[in-house]
Amino acid sequence: MASTSQHLLLSPAELAYLHSTLSLTPPLRPDGRTATQFRPLTAETGILPGTNGSARVCFADGTEAVVGVKAEVEKTANTSITSEQDQASRQPKQRRRKQQAKDQEAAKAEEEEDEAEDGDAERRSEDEWLELSVEIPGYRDDDSGTVFLSTMLSEALLADGELTKKLWINRRFHWKLYLDIILISPPLSYPLPLLSLTTHLALLSTRLPRLKSEGDEDPMFDDDWASSQFIYSRASRPSTNTSRPPITLLVMAVGENVIFDPSKEELAVADCALAVSVGESEVESEAETDDAAMDVDAAAAATAEVKARTTLRLLSVRTIDPPSRLTAPGVPNAVNAAAWGQQGGGGGSSAAPVAAKETTGLRAAETGSVEGVWKAPRGGSKIAIISTIVEKILQKGGVAEEVLEGLDGVELA
Amino acid sequence: MQGRSLSEVASNRFVSKAELNVNFGGMRTDQCGPLTAATAILDTLNSKLPKNFNSSTVIETSTMTSLKRSVNTDPLSSNLSSKVYVRSTKSGKVQKIVREVYLRQDIPCSSRLCSNCLASAPRSAAGVVSPFVLSDRPAGTKAYPQGHYLVPDTNALLNAMDLFEQGSAFFDVIILQTVLEELRNRSLPLYNRLIGLTKSQEKRFYVFFNEFRLETYVNREQDESINDRNDRAVRRAVKWYNDHLGQTKSKSIPVTVMLSDDRGNLEKAKQENVPGIRLRDYVSGLKDAERLLDMIAESQERVTSKEKKTEFFYPEYFSLSKMMTGVKSGMLHQGMFNVSPYNYLEGSIKVPAFPKPLIILGRDNINRSVDGDVVVVEVLPQDQWKAPSTKIIEEEAITKNENADNDEGAVDVVTEKERRALQEEVKKTQGQTTEGRPQPTAKVVGVIKRNWRQYVGHVDPSSVSQTARQGRKQESVFLIPMDKKIPKIRIRTRQAGELLGNRILVTIDSWDRESRHPVGHFVRSLGELETKAAETEALLLEYDVQYRPFPKTVLDCLPKEGHDWKVPASTDDPGWKDREDLRGLLICSIDPVGCQDIDDALHAKPLPNGNYEVGVHIADVSHFVKPANAMDMEASIRGTTVYLVDKRIDMLPMLLGTDLCSLKPYVERYAFSVLWELSPSADIVDVRFTKSVIKSREAFSYEQAQLRIDDASQQDDLTNGMRTLLMLSKKLKQKRMDAGALSLSSPEVKVQMESETSDPIDVKTKELLDTNSLVEEFMLLANISVARKIYEVFPQTAILRRHGAPPKTNFDELANQLKVKRGLELRFDSSKALADSLDACVAEGEPFFNTLVRIMATRCMMSAEYFCAGTQSFPEFRHYGLASEIYTHFTSPIRRYADLVAHRQLAAAIGYEAMHPAVRARGRLEAVCKNINVRHRNAQLAGRASVAYYVGQSLKGRVAEEDAFVMRIFSNGFVVLVPRFGIEGLIRLRDLAEPEPESVFDAEEYVLRLSGSYETSVELFQKVRVRIRDVKDEATGKRGAKMELVRAV
Repeated sequence: MASTSQHLLLSPAELAYLHSTLSLTPPLRPDGRTATQFRPLTAETGILPGTNGSARVCFADGTEAVVGVKAEVEKTANTSITSEQDQASRQPKQRRRKQQAKDQEAAKAEEEEDEAEDGDAERRSEDEWLELSVEIPGYRDDDSGTVFLSTMLSEALLADGELTKKLWINRRFHWKLYLDIILISPPLSYPLPLLSLTTHLALLSTRLPRLKSEGDEDPMFDDDWASSQFIYSRASRPSTNTSRPPITLLVMAVGENVIFDPSKEELAVADCALAVSVGESEVESEAETDDAAMDVDAAAAATAEVKARTTLRLLSVRTIDPPSRLTAPGVPNAVNAAAWGQQGGGGGSSAAPVAAKETTGLRAAETGSVEGVWKAPRGGSKIAIISTIVEKILQKGGVAEEVLEGLDGVELA
Repeated sequence: MQGRSLSEVASNRFVSKAELNVNFGGMRTDQCGPLTAATAILDTLNSKLPKNFNSSTVIETSTMTSLKRSVNTDPLSSNLSSKVYVRSTKSGKVQKIVREVYLRQDIPCSSRLCSNCLASAPRSAAGVVSPFVLSDRPAGTKAYPQGHYLVPDTNALLNAMDLFEQGSAFFDVIILQTVLEELRNRSLPLYNRLIGLTKSQEKRFYVFFNEFRLETYVNREQDESINDRNDRAVRRAVKWYNDHLGQTKSKSIPVTVMLSDDRGNLEKAKQENVPGIRLRDYVSGLKDAERLLDMIAESQERVTSKEKKTEFFYPEYFSLSKMMTGVKSGMLHQGMFNVSPYNYLEGSIKVPAFPKPLIILGRDNINRSVDGDVVVVEVLPQDQWKAPSTKIIEEEAITKNENADNDEGAVDVVTEKERRALQEEVKKTQGQTTEGRPQPTAKVVGVIKRNWRQYVGHVDPSSVSQTARQGRKQESVFLIPMDKKIPKIRIRTRQAGELLGNRILVTIDSWDRESRHPVGHFVRSLGELETKAAETEALLLEYDVQYRPFPKTVLDCLPKEGHDWKVPASTDDPGWKDREDLRGLLICSIDPVGCQDIDDALHAKPLPNGNYEVGVHIADVSHFVKPANAMDMEASIRGTTVYLVDKRIDMLPMLLGTDLCSLKPYVERYAFSVLWELSPSADIVDVRFTKSVIKSREAFSYEQAQLRIDDASQQDDLTNGMRTLLMLSKKLKQKRMDAGALSLSSPEVKVQMESETSDPIDVKTKELLDTNSLVEEFMLLANISVARKIYEVFPQTAILRRHGAPPKTNFDELANQLKVKRGLELRFDSSKALADSLDACVAEGEPFFNTLVRIMATRCMMSAEYFCAGTQSFPEFRHYGLASEIYTHFTSPIRRYADLVAHRQLAAAIGYEAMHPAVRARGRLEAVCKNINVRHRNAQLAGRASVAYYVGQSLKGRVAEEDAFVMRIFSNGFVVLVPRFGIEGLIRLRDLAEPEPESVFDAEEYVLRLSGSYETSVELFQKVRVRIRDVKDEATGKRGAKMELVRAV
């Protein structure tokens, strides 16, 4: 985290002030936004003519990202899988699921999965069909921060398997999607939401050539680009939203307050910061959404809410180490040598009691909290806060829905 | 980041990752839209935002520069557009391709009326504007009396390319780039023909690059199909031409007219006030309209009738992707479709997966394939496997009285007659011999590539109605192609009466599922049947021999001195550089009588050490034909000189072939010499190659040379040299025979002509003298020596000739026949074994039997082919027939292009000259080899066909009774070979007697026993007496040598 956003030069006193204003109800944000308000952004798609889909998003703070999507036809490995091998290949997934769910439930899920596959002409998909690379200027691509970012982004895209399912051509071939995510400005704030929104838009605008062949033949495509098809079909939009690519939102908490799209200054005082990935799927039955919730690889609990037409579902929640943890603590006046005259009583007292007072003051600064004195937050996120965050995101008319609606308005080129 | 530009970063990423064409990197910085562009985009963005969006997420206009290029708003972008399409590569990659189009305004209209374009037209590096093409006073018609330019659309060209090639009409044609590109996608052969037309001066065809001219470029609209867009582009271009020419100050401004067959397009043109006319209507207004109308392809007329018919004769083809998948996975097989010459309902296809060709039996399994097509087949289940036919089935006989007009009405694709013909056949598949054993059969499921060409034939008189013979009604008639393997072609014509009895040229347009026969159209008439001119031209067309006179560009490559060219007298002349002066050697040439293009000459002289110096001197054609000039291109296309009985179609212009290159006697000539030192036992002691100057002392014919050698009184050095050569050649031949060289045979005859009228008067089999073999041996020796040398220096690119060992199965049948009939054993495990066992195949008192076996054995062989050394491994180089491990052609550069290439390579190998890139590039050489292999075979076939025709002509009005041998037996006839004339003939049982004699065919013993109306038995290899007469079949109008069995001997 620290490495991917530049260090802030805020004094402990400034941090303490910021923290206290953000803790107010309602919070007072430095740029005057409400807690759920996003920074203004500009977005456009189709900026790279040679790609299958592309998008550019600029935040008002000057950060800017470009995402290009390229697709290639690839032969699916071991095309002639017998059902037994098939079972074997699915083992790891199931095992993981079993760890989370009770045995019966896993068995039930398995049954259902089998049914679904039979019905869907064995449309299976693999995570390798999506390759994602993130480039942050000034950082190596094996920098831990960059790797973490790309892991989070791909986790969100792959979690529900919807995207890779769309890449299925037939039992022998699939599309391989290369996502190139580039931050083209210096990382002024934590770029995760920017990159995620740009990726979302790029995928929305991604089109694949129309398939002409049938069945398991070697695929042949229509050479007319105008007849290519969006992978996220917009046939019936916007009245009935079909599925859209997942997005990852950055949320932080200060005290009891939940703040969306934090700026870098705000992040510097976060008690905790979370990256929450939300996906959307077509209308499904209650039972299945419950199962989907089981899939979540999240550190926290998960809920799912069924909406009238589309389902927003939580795909993952990741804790992000906020820079606030690395800030230097403020020094209470009690132990501040510079504030000597104000705190100490008699001028001519001996040195020993002063020393004792200093040690107690230091301890107080490290352990207890002193009003108006900055202290780096410690400990994990509180469960209650996390559930508040998730609720705010997923609820009807909540933040996720609003963001998706907003991105939906971007014209696709 | 500071140091690198944005585009650099982005392009590096995308290109390296996906290997796809990302134009991002190529973006010009000045094209990045100015602020206005960005604002405009964002305005549209905002207007699309839903109302409830404002509360939390705001997309607002910032001062950021947009990266996106917007055609609408960027004032600089009016001359910039792009084309987007999907490209699928062979390896299975699917790429989105974006091509930028930079529109310009200086592309000229090329009309001589226009002075504006002339001023602004782009100039070449030399400052010259290419001359304008379209006439300032184009021809007018009734509809356009002020003159007109034509703009055909793609369909017009597809349907009526033959019309555009007419010399009487269709001048001043504007070919739009849109149309040209579309045509290339639809039909490459037609595209090439069109390109040829645009190069011709007199036709005045101009290619207008409308897609690059700002005013005529059209953007594809939302939801507009590519076809509609292209049609619109054509209309726009026509409109522009009319507007543009309207601005000229000329008194009579020609109309630019769109030619189309698309009703929708014409209607739109009418609405937009663009002059347009239906192709048919236009042609109707021309002179000679009836003949021209026949040249419009059939297909488009059928559109109307299609709707009412839902009945299909043939199964549908698989989709291309399905076929490709099947071929890749081995479920289907791809190969070239060949029709049996004896049975038009039986075809075969050789595929790599099976040792023997797959058999395709019956009309619905053949499924509209024509001989030569590349097709995909599916193997039928084993219970449907059949033996190859033992019956002659000729299309003419079976489908004789079909009515061309009623073709569609028939219920089933397989007529009752055809079914009966095939039925009898199936009964006889129980035999146990190799011939009778069921073989895998297959059915055609799709055609990858049609290899349709133009076919020569004649109209089936029985298909022409009486009314049409007089009237001018359009009707369908059948054309019977000369090539028996090609099915009847249905053509619609108004001139059926006139075409009767003529050789005519047609093309096949299509073969739809609902049509029993392919549909074609008339191209031109070659003249009356059996006139020499028509028949010769028919032959040349049928074998695709390029017979037009050499174009001027080729003749320009000849030496300026013409026939006065001489070897420079001074040895300081550059022509003498690195040439050896061999004028002192006693060189002579030995060729057939009357040979004008003398390729080779020889000499021999004893050396002091008891060895002999032997030289083979070959005409130095490569001195005159420089690589990659027009003459070289023409020669590489022609590939070989074609010898017909009365005509020679040269590969090189006469001046070179018969004079400057030809090693004529008594004059000095440039040559390329191979000089050996041979020991008295004809072993090579040393060999060297050099360019030289020689002076041949004498040009002998084989007979003259033989006489001179045999005449003991002649003791001059020249004759003694020839005796030495003869002595050595016999030793060389013995060595070759010991190594296993085959002496094969084909029936060769010579037609003697009356010198005045050049009418054939007699046919003679060619005689072989010792001197023939003398020349042959030294040519072989030279070829082998040269092959070794060029392979040593250019192991990748050397042009060589190989003769593959025939697959063992090819001989199975012949071996069995010999065993059953004569108790002879044919061994074919090596060429040596084969040669020996062929020698043993003699029948007492019948010298011709051996030749017959050799002829039949030759037909089991593979054909020799040219190839590029790098394409095969060394063991594959072997020449089976000559039993040589390496071989090439070097000794006839005047008449074979391969030899010319070998000359150039050898010259480079000995350091005489640098290797020209064209001779070095392997890809090009492979293409050359492929072409000359085809040309070589065609030339042979054309030569044979010519002989056959003249043999027939020499029999005209005569009846000859000759000996013949039975070569092949069917259940309802047999094939005989007449050695005297070198022709084969088919004797059908039904012709022997009336009613047709009953027959029992014993496939195991190869005997056909006849009873009933004609009692005899005919067996394989039997000598029979036949009567040959020249008969004209009244039904088909075809003349041919007809044979009748007189008696079995």
